[in-house]
Amino acid sequence: MALQTQGAVSLGPDRGESREPAPARDRRSRLPYGLVAPAVIVLAVTLGYPVVRLVVLSFQKFDSRSLFTGEAPFVGVANYTDVLADPAFWAVLGRTVVVTAACVAAMMALGFALARALTRTSAWARLVFVVCLVLVWAMPMVSAALIWQWLFQPQYGVANWMLTQLGVFGDLTARDWFSEPGPALVLIIVLIVWKGLPFVILTMYAALLQIPSALYEASGIDGAGAWQTLRRITLPLMRPVLAVLVVLEVIWSVNSFTPFWVLTQGGPSGQTTTVSVYAYVQAFTANDYGAGSAISVITIALLSVFAVLYVRRLTKGGEVA
Amino acid sequence: MNALRDFRTRRRLAVDAVVVLAAVVMIFPVYWMFATAFKPPGQVLSLTPQFVPWPPSTENFTRTLAAPEFLTFLRNSLVVSLITVVLSMAVAVAAAFATVRFAFGGRRTLLAVLVLVQMIPGSAMVIPLYLMLRDIGALDMLPGLVLTYLSFVLPFTVWNLRAFVAGVPVELEEAAMIDGCDRLQAFRRVVLPLLAPGIVVTSVFAFINAWDDYLFAYVLMRSQENYTLPVWLVSFSTAPQVDYGETIAASAIFSLPVLVFFLFLQRRLVGGLAAGAVKG
Repeated sequence: MALQTQGAVSLGPDRGESREPAPARDRRSRLPYGLVAPAVIVLAVTLGYPVVRLVVLSFQKFDSRSLFTGEAPFVGVANYTDVLADPAFWAVLGRTVVVTAACVAAMMALGFALARALTRTSAWARLVFVVCLVLVWAMPMVSAALIWQWLFQPQYGVANWMLTQLGVFGDLTARDWFSEPGPALVLIIVLIVWKGLPFVILTMYAALLQIPSALYEASGIDGAGAWQTLRRITLPLMRPVLAVLVVLEVIWSVNSFTPFWVLTQGGPSGQTTTVSVYAYVQAFTANDYGAGSAISVITIALLSVFAVLYVRRLTKGGEVA
Repeated sequence: MNALRDFRTRRRLAVDAVVVLAAVVMIFPVYWMFATAFKPPGQVLSLTPQFVPWPPSTENFTRTLAAPEFLTFLRNSLVVSLITVVLSMAVAVAAAFATVRFAFGGRRTLLAVLVLVQMIPGSAMVIPLYLMLRDIGALDMLPGLVLTYLSFVLPFTVWNLRAFVAGVPVELEEAAMIDGCDRLQAFRRVVLPLLAPGIVVTSVFAFINAWDDYLFAYVLMRSQENYTLPVWLVSFSTAPQVDYGETIAASAIFSLPVLVFFLFLQRRLVGGLAAGAVKG
């Protein structure tokens, strides 16, 4: 969803030099509770209740009839066993893992290479690139997906024209990529990577700048080559940032809905469906809200492994001290 | 030494070339959006694409703006996003302030929850929110949509504001209190003015999060007069005969405010990101 762009990442000012002051020590004061109460109440209504409802739903038989009668009998873990026994679910899950791995691997590799290039390039080229990145970052996902559809439109799309001009792949002037599952998934992955790269590059770039140049000078004097410097200095120092980026990008890729829905609606015949789309389709197209909830709960359970890793990281860094 | 300098110059040129090439590839889809939007309608669908819209034409834009529903959808999008921002700011500033400045029982739990809930997929939240709004008869109503937007905008807002609150030196506040301000006055006269830039930046991000939502509006808004711009844009593209000139022009209009906001905030996005966001 919309969180894709920023999510839990704080975009606040640099906190490197001015550490967060220790919170005041008046533990018995009721003031802080009064201050957080409104936010907590809003969260309880808009988030707490729905999450509880989601979990309860996953143990109920809730179909289109329940919408009108209000009757939703409890069926124990039937929704879960049905979902887990369905080969379609495993196909969807496998596809989600592949798509996520491809997105994250591409973003991390390209992001790292381009962030490094950014530290070595001339000032004017850096400015040009950063402005381009910021604009791509800013593009709303809905607009981006529509542009993708237009770029790869079979007859009049500029991509097929360019590929045909290259002459390597033959005449592609009528190829409808989004009607074939394989190419459609590749194009969706490219869209997610394109849209996610600016955040990855700029975050890695900022982290690279924080590595003291004295370390590079020292390793140069000690006769380390480029590869050794990368492996022994840059990567170890970047590890915390890389870890957080991987966690965030895994979560955002799995949660990605709009690009799939706009470009293929999960088709043809469900072959580009990932868990997000699958939960939606089960709930709102098949009117099986119980199954949709069970799929969602399974997804959240799998993702929470990554989420907990992320929170641990933040806690270690003093953010949630 | 000359050879070394030559080598360095050549390497820098090579890096510059790679960076510029990457910039061109990255920006092309954005360029193509504007290039298509500014083409005269006859040129949009041509077998040999025209890379520069010449002569530029605003006809696609005028047709989009003339669509009777466009202003309705624009108004819906604006109203929903703005109300979401105002409501979440109203409660988030106090909460962010409290979680930075005070130690209280449950603080850590609250912070962990704030982060964790941002990981829940929208497609999971939309199921119970749909049924909840259906129960209270708020389906297909803009206030209902605002309620669902708060579920993901508010945690983000609180979390993001925290970094800015932490940037205001606590000593200033203490000084004001020594000078005779009470806690509220110190907050209003000292903290709030210093927090203003942070509130603006966070508001922009919160606005964009709501502005960009497709899923919730698509599921919850059933009648056409309640569509927001994203829902309308996508419904455009699934029509049997897609008018690409008009669709892309509409996308450009929809994207423009966000592009402008981001350019405006560019410094902050690049400079202050790493330490606050992902320090390890």
